[in-house]
Amino acid sequence: MANSDQITASIKEYILQDFLPGENPDMLTEETTLVESGVLDSLAILKLVAFIEEQFDVTLEAHEVDTQYMNTIAAMVQLIVSKK
Amino acid sequence: MDFALSDEQIALRDSIVRFAQNELNDGVMERDRNQEFDRDLWLKCGEMGLQGLPVPEEYGGAGLDPLSSVVALEALGYGCRDGGLAFSICAHLLACVIPIWKHGSEQQKKDLLPDLCSGKLIAVNAMTEPATGSDAFAMSTTAVKDGAGYRLNGSKTFSSNGPVADIALVYAMTDRDKGALGGITVFVVARDTPGYQAGQKFEKLGLRTSPIGEVVLNDVFVPDEAVIGRPGGGTMIFNQSMEWERICLVGCHLGTMEHLLEQAIDYARTRRQFGQPIGKNQAISHRIADMKMRLEASRLLTYRAAWKLDRVRNLAIDASMAKLFTSESLVKSALDTIQILGGYGFMVEYDVERTLRDSIASTIYSGTSEMQRNMIAAWLGL
Repeated sequence: MANSDQITASIKEYILQDFLPGENPDMLTEETTLVESGVLDSLAILKLVAFIEEQFDVTLEAHEVDTQYMNTIAAMVQLIVSKK
Repeated sequence: MDFALSDEQIALRDSIVRFAQNELNDGVMERDRNQEFDRDLWLKCGEMGLQGLPVPEEYGGAGLDPLSSVVALEALGYGCRDGGLAFSICAHLLACVIPIWKHGSEQQKKDLLPDLCSGKLIAVNAMTEPATGSDAFAMSTTAVKDGAGYRLNGSKTFSSNGPVADIALVYAMTDRDKGALGGITVFVVARDTPGYQAGQKFEKLGLRTSPIGEVVLNDVFVPDEAVIGRPGGGTMIFNQSMEWERICLVGCHLGTMEHLLEQAIDYARTRRQFGQPIGKNQAISHRIADMKMRLEASRLLTYRAAWKLDRVRNLAIDASMAKLFTSESLVKSALDTIQILGGYGFMVEYDVERTLRDSIASTIYSGTSEMQRNMIAAWLGL
């Protein structure tokens, strides 16, 4: 089972690769706001949800796809860990 | 990898084709001309189980797996010449029944699904608004918390089954700041709720037997129990229902394309010009070969996506590819059939012109072709 650090690294790598290609990795932190800054639009969120569900074998409920849980990597990790 | 249908799927297909050919086609030209939805035919389809194909039997459905549901809808598309009726059934099943089955409370499922599956109740998916089509989540309709419920205000348009629906699944903004990410909630609203109004019915190019219109919500109060799923879950509930719709609705198109192909072949073999069947001309036979190729490619994309529906978490790209390719193939095949039948194809009595008119909207509803290409590209990292 992946720990929080591994989950964080995995999500960060996915976001950099898929939504921020060529950007400086240091600019993306656990607390970077992804929705408000425009990194994640509605299509990107769908991809990210699919990635999280497949990669970490968890199911996100419909109401959990919410800025409360999806706006930062830290919030995503907290949600995933709570489901493990 | 096994491409064969099971004996049960073949029997299902054959029974629905027979039902549709025997029960649904009489008077379709008149109904099309008059834009008439036939509730008796709707109820007959309910008796056949079409409005609840994948819903578990305990809730009144047929309990079919997704692939068998597609096979059933393909049979409907093949046997039924009333494209509007088939479309209404799909809109009801895929955009209304599925979300209640997948996300409704146990009480909502027990209260609603049996009558939705039998056809006693008709449902409308109230999502699109006058100013928001492809950008559906930028909706204006609001649901404001009021005591033990919500007050809904807004106006929906292009709502399939709207003019005849008994209940509506209404998507409304409950938190503007969150928007699509947790700010949209879906409610089930009965037609007789004060403030609910089935507004104007629209006249259309095709699908004329499927009533489409406005849904107006003027200070409609619904209790908390009317929420499908949890508050804020509307976006994902809608996306899931669209995956079902994109995959299963095009099952109908497969059947329609098969029917068009048979019409084209039959005509090309029997129509003689310059002393031989026109099918001996490569200008005709190659066009028919392309129709066959499009049908089989559409079928493979659709069957594979349907097979994934209850096995794979991430199938958005499969749904978009199946929907995009099959709907565009349907329009091309309808145009090809008219061209092959020549002047006869242009005449109302030969049915093909209605099939063409019915097909045009397929590249628009459930997400336009342009949006499907956007989604496919996004999934490829572009």
